[in-house]
Amino acid sequence: MNQLPHGIPLARLLAPLMAVLAASTALTGCKGGREAGSIGVYSARHYNTDKALYRRFTEQTGIRVNLLEGKDNALIERLSREGSTSPADVLVLVDAARIGKASQQGLFQPVRSAALERDVPAHLRDPGGRWYGLTRRVRLIVLNPAKINAAIPVRTYADLADPRLKGQLCLRNSLSVYNQSLVADQLIQHGPASTATWVKGMVANLGQSLFSSDIPLVRAVARGDCGVALVNSYYVARMRSGDAGAEDQQLTAGLRVILPDPAHVNISGAGVTRHARNPRAATRLIEFLASPSGGRGYAEANHEYPLRGFGENSVLKSFGPFRDDGVSIQAMGERNQEAIRLMQQNGWQ
Amino acid sequence: MTSSGPAPGSVTLPRASAPPRRSLLVLLVLLVAALALAPLVALIGFSGLLSHPLQARLGSAGGEQLANTLLLLIGVGLAGAVLGTTNGWLTASCHFPGRRWLRIAQLLPLATPTYLLAATAIDLGSRFSWRLHGPGWAALVLTLGTYSYVFLLSTESFAVSGRRHLEACRSLGVGPWGSFLRVALPMALPAIGAGVALSGMEVVNELGAVELLGVPTLSGGILQRWQNDGDPQGAAALALIALLIVSLLVAAERLLRRRSRRWSVGGGGDIPPRWQLAGWRALLAQLLTLLPPLLSLGLPLVWALISRDQLQSESFGELAGLALRSLGLGLGGAALTLAGGLLLAVARRWLPDPALQRLTFIAGMGYAVPGAVLALALMLVGSPLQLPPLLLLVWGYGDRFLAVSKQGLDAALERLPPSIDEAATGLGCGWLAVLRRVHLPLLRGPLLVGALLVFVDVVKELPLTFALRPFDFDTLSVRVYQYASDERVGAALIPALLILALGLAAALALVPSLERGEPRPPTS
Repeated sequence: MNQLPHGIPLARLLAPLMAVLAASTALTGCKGGREAGSIGVYSARHYNTDKALYRRFTEQTGIRVNLLEGKDNALIERLSREGSTSPADVLVLVDAARIGKASQQGLFQPVRSAALERDVPAHLRDPGGRWYGLTRRVRLIVLNPAKINAAIPVRTYADLADPRLKGQLCLRNSLSVYNQSLVADQLIQHGPASTATWVKGMVANLGQSLFSSDIPLVRAVARGDCGVALVNSYYVARMRSGDAGAEDQQLTAGLRVILPDPAHVNISGAGVTRHARNPRAATRLIEFLASPSGGRGYAEANHEYPLRGFGENSVLKSFGPFRDDGVSIQAMGERNQEAIRLMQQNGWQ
Repeated sequence: MTSSGPAPGSVTLPRASAPPRRSLLVLLVLLVAALALAPLVALIGFSGLLSHPLQARLGSAGGEQLANTLLLLIGVGLAGAVLGTTNGWLTASCHFPGRRWLRIAQLLPLATPTYLLAATAIDLGSRFSWRLHGPGWAALVLTLGTYSYVFLLSTESFAVSGRRHLEACRSLGVGPWGSFLRVALPMALPAIGAGVALSGMEVVNELGAVELLGVPTLSGGILQRWQNDGDPQGAAALALIALLIVSLLVAAERLLRRRSRRWSVGGGGDIPPRWQLAGWRALLAQLLTLLPPLLSLGLPLVWALISRDQLQSESFGELAGLALRSLGLGLGGAALTLAGGLLLAVARRWLPDPALQRLTFIAGMGYAVPGAVLALALMLVGSPLQLPPLLLLVWGYGDRFLAVSKQGLDAALERLPPSIDEAATGLGCGWLAVLRRVHLPLLRGPLLVGALLVFVDVVKELPLTFALRPFDFDTLSVRVYQYASDERVGAALIPALLILALGLAAALALVPSLERGEPRPPTS
């Protein structure tokens, strides 16, 4: 008796299930074999516009891109566990600390490329050629002019510790890797003692508990719940441009956007993986993404800055130019743990 | 077991395989348990905790994370138990206008990913200067996301078991409140306990929503220590605390179940009608059952309504691909997990050996490990063996959700009197035959509920899918999270609504079986 009394034959239950599983695997191009002209890309960037760019690369070169997007740490872990069996040829990560971590774990292989050395400024790539920056983002200051007395100067990161801003400052928490890299950047420029004083000063100025994301933070400043805050350039640009809706566009129109002088610049970057099976094609992809034409596509659609200059994005242009503080991304990655400890010891949780 | 031959003079009964092959059952249990435990063992080994136990420190951050986790557990457990049981009882045993639809609607919150709920709530709040932040909000979001576990398990118990007892109540003149408090509630306690335990495990595991709401918890702490601080011992120490909490939850639930052990064979026969609610009572019932689904569906919908200009859709082909992959994984994961859960649940009944009993208990512990950590553990095991990512992923689902399928089945099996098994074995059936001919038919409801729970859980599962999937294999939940984590709620919403639609479709497919043996409509 293969049929249950209530009329569900097991086979009938299982058949559609197997069919769907088979169909879903077939649909995804989940192929066992590897084409000669294809590369695997693990990417921590996840913007639809990236995919269009990979398609353009395939059209130009005939090299197929297999894509897996994920979170930085998970991708790093996966790549290191997979070791020499990994199907990934290129690893794309966001933020100095994570790139530094992957580099320290030996996940990249050195690549020499005249094109990359020409297109990527020296402080935005690894001296050993293991990874190269692709786009830039700036940790900038947004300020509500109605809330902050114009007589208080807010031009640098250090100004945010000014006691006259007491109760006006809002920040994201220290889990934000962008904040960690900012603190590492300040550590490199000003040393531990003065960075600790700066962090303490900012914590004393906090008007609200720490935020866990950027857009609510920008809104809080725009609505006057906070006077001033530190956020990433592309979030403000996205809101200003109308990409995040007309309401946010209006709301942020009155905000003052301050590019600190000098500005802390962070990157998204990529390297050829240590066990890449197709390192030449992998290098070509990175060259394509770093080139002024390819890089524009990577940066502009997400309101990021290209590797050189300020790009053609009209919102970013309206923020004006900035002076890159020139701190090397590699050095920031190395100081990440120290930065986290310093933040936590001084009340930036 | 007593396998005596037919007594002289008895009727000769058809016999299944002569000696009941329990060795096969033991073997299968060992196999399932090994699969479930291998990643956890690898994790403990990797952490180096055994060789350097003294290096593990909870630290001040760990203390706060533990306190927050406990706070959320208590808050969500209490709120979820009250809400789930109330709505389970109201929609199963009372009649009021709209009951049928509101009953199905209770499943909506289950299909709403909590991180999406948190993201839309925070986003909406920030437009009106409301800061949604802290443990209170986190408890609210998590209660909304998990009370359906209690609802589903308790309502199944209210609807199927013990209707006879209620009939007795009526004939003895005990009213609706009396019949609920004195008869139905004690009988449903195992199911409620199972539901609360499940929601508690979900709370211990929760990562996305609590992080968005700025509540540091154990699961976040584990990942942070491992990946950011490079301190696997510390991470393992926190993970063991999480494991301990979950073991306590499960043990408490068991104790509760043992104390309230009552058996019932389930529906059948003429089932008495529901309690008729009218006037303000009906209104209150409607409000209570409407509010949670309204919130969990309403938040994203309100968001969509006031931000119409931001809604972005991907191409139909892309969405269909995402949905099909989610569906495939959901069905595959549910089938596999249910098979494993059923095996363990049945084994508990047949194998009195205490070591094996303990093993079936521990095998469900994968649910206690935060998904992101389980993903790392699976990589530890899978990478050296070069297992294909999809296989590793389905293994992960099985490990993670074994407890979900097992919990409900355990509770349901305990409601079946042992006399049934004794009768069947007396007639010469082995465990397999009893399973096929007696248990499966009687467990149809709980099996379907378990399948639904696992299906919905897999479809909205994130960390495992995110970390283990192969190239070009995005699912709906992956897409939702990618957009939501980049603070693009507008783009996350359509795939999220598709998750809801899949969950709802599965729930609707279940309705006929949940409503089977419906009481005749009340005569008014």
